[in-house]
Amino acid sequence: MQDAENVAAPEAAEQRAEPGQQQEQQPAAEPPPGEEPPRPGGPGAQEAASGEDAAAEVEAGPGPDVPAEPAAGREEAAGAAPGSSPPPPEESLAPVPAAGEQPGGAAEDGGADEPSFSDPEDFVDDVSEEELLGDILKDRPQEADGIDSVIVVDNVPQVGPDRLEKLKNVIHKIFSKFGKITNDFYPEEDGKTKGYIFLEYASPAHAVDAVKNADGYKLDKQHTFRVNLFTDFDKYMTISDEWDIPEKQPFKDLGNLRYWLEEAECRDQYSVIFESGDRTSIFWNDVKDPVSIEERARWTETYVRWSPKGTYLATFHQRGIALWGGEKFKQIQRFSHQGVQLIDFSPCERYLVTFSPLMDTQDDPQAIIIWDILTGQKKRGFHCESSAHWPIFKWSHDGKFFARMTLDTLSIYETPSMGLLDKKSLKISGIKDFSWSPGGNIIAFWVPEDKDIPARVTLMQLPTRQEIRVRNLFNVVDCKLHWQKNGDYLCVKVDRTPKGTQGVVTNFEIFRMREKQVPVDVVEMKETIIAFAWEPNGSKFAVLHGEAPRISVSFYHVKSNGKIELIKMFDKQQANTIFWSPQGQFVVLAGLRSMNGALAFVDTSDCTVMNIAEHYMASDVEWDPTGRYVVTSVSWWSHKVDNAYWLWTFQGRLLQKNNKDRFCQLLWRPRPPTLLSQEQIKQIKKDLKKYSKIFEQKDRLSQSKASKELVERRRTMMEDFRKYRKMAQELYMEQKNERLELRGGVDTDELDSNVDDWEEETIEFFVTEEIIPLGNQE
Amino acid sequence: MKPILLQGHERSITQIKYNREGDLLFTVAKDPIVNVWYSVNGERLGTYMGHTGAVWCVDADWDTKHVLTGSADNSCRLWDCETGKQLALLKTNSAVRTCGFDFGGNIIMFSTDKQMGYQCFVSFFDLRDPSQIDNNEPYMKIPCNDSKITSAVWGPLGECIIAGHEGGELNQYSAKSGEVLVNVKEHSRQINDIQLSRDMTMFVTASKDNTAKLFDSTTLEHQKTFRTERPVNSAALSPNYDHVVLGGGQEAMDVTTTSTRIGKFEASQLCGPPVTRVQYGSSSTWPLKKSLEESRATSGL
Repeated sequence: MQDAENVAAPEAAEQRAEPGQQQEQQPAAEPPPGEEPPRPGGPGAQEAASGEDAAAEVEAGPGPDVPAEPAAGREEAAGAAPGSSPPPPEESLAPVPAAGEQPGGAAEDGGADEPSFSDPEDFVDDVSEEELLGDILKDRPQEADGIDSVIVVDNVPQVGPDRLEKLKNVIHKIFSKFGKITNDFYPEEDGKTKGYIFLEYASPAHAVDAVKNADGYKLDKQHTFRVNLFTDFDKYMTISDEWDIPEKQPFKDLGNLRYWLEEAECRDQYSVIFESGDRTSIFWNDVKDPVSIEERARWTETYVRWSPKGTYLATFHQRGIALWGGEKFKQIQRFSHQGVQLIDFSPCERYLVTFSPLMDTQDDPQAIIIWDILTGQKKRGFHCESSAHWPIFKWSHDGKFFARMTLDTLSIYETPSMGLLDKKSLKISGIKDFSWSPGGNIIAFWVPEDKDIPARVTLMQLPTRQEIRVRNLFNVVDCKLHWQKNGDYLCVKVDRTPKGTQGVVTNFEIFRMREKQVPVDVVEMKETIIAFAWEPNGSKFAVLHGEAPRISVSFYHVKSNGKIELIKMFDKQQANTIFWSPQGQFVVLAGLRSMNGALAFVDTSDCTVMNIAEHYMASDVEWDPTGRYVVTSVSWWSHKVDNAYWLWTFQGRLLQKNNKDRFCQLLWRPRPPTLLSQEQIKQIKKDLKKYSKIFEQKDRLSQSKASKELVERRRTMMEDFRKYRKMAQELYMEQKNERLELRGGVDTDELDSNVDDWEEETIEFFVTEEIIPLGNQE
Repeated sequence: MKPILLQGHERSITQIKYNREGDLLFTVAKDPIVNVWYSVNGERLGTYMGHTGAVWCVDADWDTKHVLTGSADNSCRLWDCETGKQLALLKTNSAVRTCGFDFGGNIIMFSTDKQMGYQCFVSFFDLRDPSQIDNNEPYMKIPCNDSKITSAVWGPLGECIIAGHEGGELNQYSAKSGEVLVNVKEHSRQINDIQLSRDMTMFVTASKDNTAKLFDSTTLEHQKTFRTERPVNSAALSPNYDHVVLGGGQEAMDVTTTSTRIGKFEASQLCGPPVTRVQYGSSSTWPLKKSLEESRATSGL
């Protein structure tokens, strides 16, 4: 702007010579910044003039005498030597009041000679609008504005003008659910609408909402809306017609992930976390001593989990989950889920469910994520709506379905699509708990009493959703569903308060799943139930009941005719938990934590207690997957001292005590289900004597070898120590003179080396005798 | 053999020591009293009075003329063994944790705690030069910057001292130049006690890391490890058998908060409350142990 004035000033000065061209003169009144302002009042005059909006009049009217003076003075200055001679002080002062009066004058007579502030005609303004009004311009409406709020609806009925109003009403009704519609457009052709319409919402969020919810809306049989964002059209247009062949991913050779099953001695592996979680080790379980396979520091940040078939070891990290496997425990897969806390594998080991309490947004569910283990891809995210118990999603035994329960709803999803089965959830008002059968795609769930409607346990076949059994129950307080591991039986533990009685009675409702109509038998117990557990591969179950310290254990057998027989009851047990061997028959009754770690090893085939033992303060009991060994442990997580794990045989013979500093957790590596057929297993059982002979011989051999080795090792250790002592003593003898010197010639090597100095002293011991009469003798 | 119970302290025992012949036993505790006893019958011979704080360490020279004690009252004192007279008072800036006479009984050594802004020092005084004592000017002062000394003994022939540190390190310092001759780290936690074999060729360390270890005293070569389930407070070597005795258990401060069964008191080699100190007499086959009598009372055992 300043430059423009500088350029304009000399021109104006020239033009000034022409009389009468007042308006042309005016720019000269604006003091060019290069010069000393001739009149300090100048700017003030300008302001006043523009302030009264007199500029237009100034142009028109002839100027009074007063301004002529400065103009003349100006001429001089411009003509002679610009900027060299300031006007005399009198002059410069004089115009000030004049300038002050000017506005008044201008207002009076129409501002006759007010200087004009207009640009010259040929003046080119080189200031862009952005520079001037950048802040305002940015709010100017754009052509593309609101484009994000526009949706395109396809498959709209084509109507003539007569029915257009009606259509508009219907459309409005449907689409205003998602937000205010600010604009609509129904393209027409030959008097009929074209079958697609444009709608504009007040905000893009509404448009997104509409796309999400109205896409696929069925108006009638012929018309199903397809709703898209207008902006998406660009995206769809640019999709290339050529199909790019996906790049081939390099094959990752992970080795044999099941190598551990081929071990010659058929030993099992287990993971151990110790040093308060800083170190994690994998061991081979061995009768003599555990053999370390792998040990790593900070392998996991919290704990570890094995997958259900033992293929993977999952470790927990702040940023997600890592899976390890193969012979060297290399990393196989990573799943990035910030703040992950809980995980669950599908029984088929194909999917992983992770849960994190962090990061959950409305649009992008992140709380629970289901991953594909083989590809590492995220399959689907879910919100965590209820504070239910983990696992929130329960898997069917084959991993084909997974289900979760929310208020009055049971949602069943199918794999691999991860979508709702038949696109809709089951409405079951009041559903309290559900559980999959481990032996088939059957869901059991129960609903509590509601006024006159009795409580109900329902068994439902999937995916047909056929209810195969419903059982009504009365006066129910609570139900617990217990499936036998093969899915042969379901026990529903029902706590009831029958009318006319005080206190709670517990019924065990036993459903025989493998029989027609699923018959139910009931066992009633009046005592408090502490624990219940099915024999994994059999038809027995164990119940701990009673009040401490009078706790009893009862073993029942479900006969094939449905009769439930009490086999045996042991009273005065110190136990609060039941641990069946994974192969059945044997059971460990443990009194964990508050019961000091009492252990009872029971054989249920003839119901004998094989051994009673104790692992003081034990917090965990873990059977190995073959049912040969049991580990009891005191975890640092529950107890701070004597952290150790002890290995027992299934008969309760203690084999090892393994003390580990701040030991936390031991987990056996699971084995996949056997590949042997029933006949083969039978045959092996039949030939067991033959095998056991071979095994016994092997054991004896290895034992004698081991003891020989041990003797040998100890002997060499002793030998080494003797050698060391001999050397040390030789050195000691060599230093004798130095010792004598240091102690003034007195030999102190042996206590009696200077007997002559000894004095003999006799010491008397005073023995006091006192008779204290016991009791009150009168 | 019936053990003799000595009762002369009001607070927990910090160190006990026999003289060379084994006829006298010196005991110090967290009270300011230093006791000396006839070992044969447990009769108290006398006390050395003067300290005003807990006494951490005690030592007697080879001919039982002098006794040296170090205390948390920031002093190390030299006593005449027979008369109980205080011969020297060496003021320090922080508590004296360990002290000892060399083989010849001419040089004394003591170490001070890293405390109150002062670092850990080992000071050496030659008793043959009275000016050193009078001016409280040691002929050598070795600073220990890293982790403080928790136990120390003189090596064979008084050429060096062997010090165990808070972090589990073992250092051999030359008594002439003060330099570190050998440094080993076999323990992972604090070394609570070091005791030499009778011929001084070996020593045993007791550590908080639940182990005691046997070392060669010249080379500091690790020989054996004795593992336990509890922190080891003290360890000693039998003078006449291939035996080691360990004392330990719960840390004194934890005694009152843990149940008796967890404490494994009944499983300890020497039954009774946690053992803080053990020492073999010269010819004795029965080690002497000192337990936390006071803790026993408060925990109601």
